[in-house]
Order: sequence, then structure tokens, then C-alpha cells
Amino acid sequence: MLRLGIAACAACTIAALAFAEEFTFTIGSPVAAQDFRAKAAAFVFRTQGCADPAKSQISATAEGLVKGVRRSVALRVEAMSKPGVYAVYQNWPAEGHWVVSLKGACNDANAGAIILIGPKGFVRESSRFFPRPATNVEIETSLKALSQSDNKGERK
Amino acid sequence: MQMIEHLPPVAAPEAIWSSIEAALEAGEPRQTQPVPRWRWALAAAVILALAGAAYWRIAQPSGTPPGIRWDVLRLAGSPSVASKAIRGAGRIGAGEWIETDARSRATVKIGAIGSVEIAPRTRVRVVATRPGEHRLALARGEIRAKISAPPKLFFVDTAAGTAVDLGCEYSLSADEHGSGLLNVTKGWVSFQWHGIESLVPAGASCRIGPPTGPGIPYFDDAPESLKQALESFGLEKAGGGALGIILSESRVRDTLTLWHLLSRVDAADRGRVFDRMAALTPVPAGVSREQALKLDPQTLDRWREELAWTW
Repeated sequence: MLRLGIAACAACTIAALAFAEEFTFTIGSPVAAQDFRAKAAAFVFRTQGCADPAKSQISATAEGLVKGVRRSVALRVEAMSKPGVYAVYQNWPAEGHWVVSLKGACNDANAGAIILIGPKGFVRESSRFFPRPATNVEIETSLKALSQSDNKGERK
Repeated sequence: MQMIEHLPPVAAPEAIWSSIEAALEAGEPRQTQPVPRWRWALAAAVILALAGAAYWRIAQPSGTPPGIRWDVLRLAGSPSVASKAIRGAGRIGAGEWIETDARSRATVKIGAIGSVEIAPRTRVRVVATRPGEHRLALARGEIRAKISAPPKLFFVDTAAGTAVDLGCEYSLSADEHGSGLLNVTKGWVSFQWHGIESLVPAGASCRIGPPTGPGIPYFDDAPESLKQALESFGLEKAGGGALGIILSESRVRDTLTLWHLLSRVDAADRGRVFDRMAALTPVPAGVSREQALKLDPQTLDRWREELAWTW
């Protein structure tokens, strides 16, 4: 009987985990925030899978490669009127190649993203999302890819 | 009174006369002090200021209600305000027109919320300058607006409807009949005409013109075939073959166009539009096919808010 109970509990836990929405980010154009303050933002993003977005911890840094030198700039992340929606404003230099690294934590769950920045703004298709903060290796790989695609004239 | 008449007269004591004489001497006119010059200067300044204010008020163009006047800056040529050419800078109030010829450009500062550049060959009237309503009327030509304010504080009327600012930067052109183009570079603009509304986000444009008002918005980077089909769709009204092209050519972000089409096509075609949107991007929770085809406002709003993350 005890074994049956434990098995049932385990099954319930597995089912709950399977159906629970993963804590992650979605990025979008400033208009997606439905907030006039986002007008000047480089992009906006929202958290998903966090029961209480107000308690989530969010940060962002711009990671760049300028004339072969790695640079890192802390970014202002502004909460919008809708819970869980944030705007990122560009305060990194125009020179060089840049990505934005997003980090988030909600209870025990973590999320990360590398958002590629092209000449016309963020590049949705090439951006990467993780269930954890992005590593330095992943950031540098993205920067190299951005640099190489620029040299080949592939970027829009 | 009778009792008083019977009282015997009594002489006043001598002392009282001396005190009256002393009081009379003290009351003699004194020598007047000259008024200081600064007082005369102050009085003159007050009179001049009052006269100036009265002249300024009388000199206002007739029919101009008192209110806030906006700064106008000449950018090129000789733009005119109230039919008077401005040199350098000027001011414009409600009821007045600003006009540019082929060589003129000007900028109007819209209170504290932004500015509007008046392109050449443009005629614009200032309708309202109240803090809660900043309103222009574009008779013809082109304007470029940069507004940083909460939504619904800045409006531009045209013959084909009204552009309502939702926190944005945009250009709006129109001819005398109201036909023109709205192009948004930042934020959102809502273009409204007789209950029809087009929501145009950054990176998108929308044809405007009577008698249909706002057209279907499209992203500027949309396939040319889609844009051409949209032009045809506007002319055909019923859609015809154009609708098929629009549906087949749409990308994920062109759900902007499809979302607007949903409520503009005939009821018989709504299902096709819904199915194409559902194929391009997952239908979010709270949006059902049945409610969408009924054009339930809450359902459509919910869907648009979700779709905006792909725009």
C-alpha cells in the first residue's frame, strides 16, 4: 500500500512538472509592451512561467566586441505597466558588434537569453533562449557569429 | 426734552477754551512733502504695462479663443502663420493656420509633449491647444510627428479620419480629398473613421482615404505581392482574388494585416482568414474560432495583444 502511495505521488509530481510552463523569456518590438514608455526601447521582453512576475529577478547586460576588444555594459531594464513585461533601452555604443544577455530568476527557476543586435535593431530569428543564464562561451560564440555574418554582408 | 429746557445755564470753565485753541492750532495745514520720483516711475510702469496688455489682447486675430499658443520655428523658406510669413520663430494658437509653399518647412512645438514638422506644400490648422487635447487638422500635405506622452493626447484630423497618437512617431500625408498614407516609425497610431479603426505599429503603414477611411495596415517589409493585393483588395472591397494572394503571401508578422482583415472581409471569408492566422502562429488561450468569427471585441483584443509579440 505504501509503495502504491509513493508511486502515485511520484506520478503526480512528474505530471505536474510536465504540465508546468517553463520559466522563459519572449522578446518583441516595443509595441508589444502596449506601453507608451517603451517607444524608445531597443526591444521589450516578457517572462512566462512565473507565477508571481513581481518577485522575479531580472537583469540585462550588453556584451560587445569593439575593434576586437570585449566590452560589457550594464543595462537599464524598466518594468512596464503589465506585470512581467520589461523594456531594454540602448545605452551601448553604436560601434562594434553587440548582443544583449538577459538573466532571470523566479523562485528556483532560471532563464537566460542572448539577443542579437543588428543595424536595424534586435534580430529575433538568431536570438537564443536557455533555461539558465547564458555562459560566457555562448555569448562570445554569438558575438563571433554576428561579426562573421557582418563580414559576409549577411546581416540585414 | 422738557426737563432739559428747565435746567439753568452754566458757564463753561476757562480751561476748556484754552484746550480748544490748542487743538485748532495743531490742526493747521502742514507743509506737504514732495512725492518721491520712484513712485511716479512705478505708476508710469504700471500704466504702460496695462496699456500694453490691452493692446496685445485687442491685436489678437478675431475669432481666436484665448489659450495656449505653440512655438513655431522656421526650418526653410517662408512658412506663414495666420497668413503672415514668419521669420525665425513665431507662435500659433487655436483656430490659426500654418502653411508652407514648395520651399518652406517649419516645426510646431506641441506644448510639452512633442513636435510636428510641417513639410513643403502643406496646410495645417491648429484646432485645440488644451493640455488634455492637442489637435491639428491636416488639410493637405505632409506632417511628421514626434510625440512623447501618454496615449490619446495628440490628434490629427484629416478628411478621411483622425490619427490618434498612442505614444509614437509617424508621418501622415493627405491630399485635399483626404487620400494619403500613414507611416509609423515608433510606437502605435490608431487611425479612426466612423467606427472603423486601424492600429498601425512601428514599421508599418496604412493607406487612408474616403470613402472607406483607414485601409488595412501592412508592414513596410511585407512582400510586394501582398502590398499590391492589398491595394486591389481596397478597390474591390469584396476581396476576390486579392484575398487569396494576401493569405498565401503572409508571413508570421503579417498577422497584423490578417488581424485587420478578419473584421473587414465578408462573413463568408472570415474562416479563411482565421485559419491562415492559426497556421502562422498558435492561437492563444482565451481565443476561440467561434468567438473570433463573431468578431467578439474582447477576443479580438486578446488575440491582437498576443500577436503583437510577433510584430
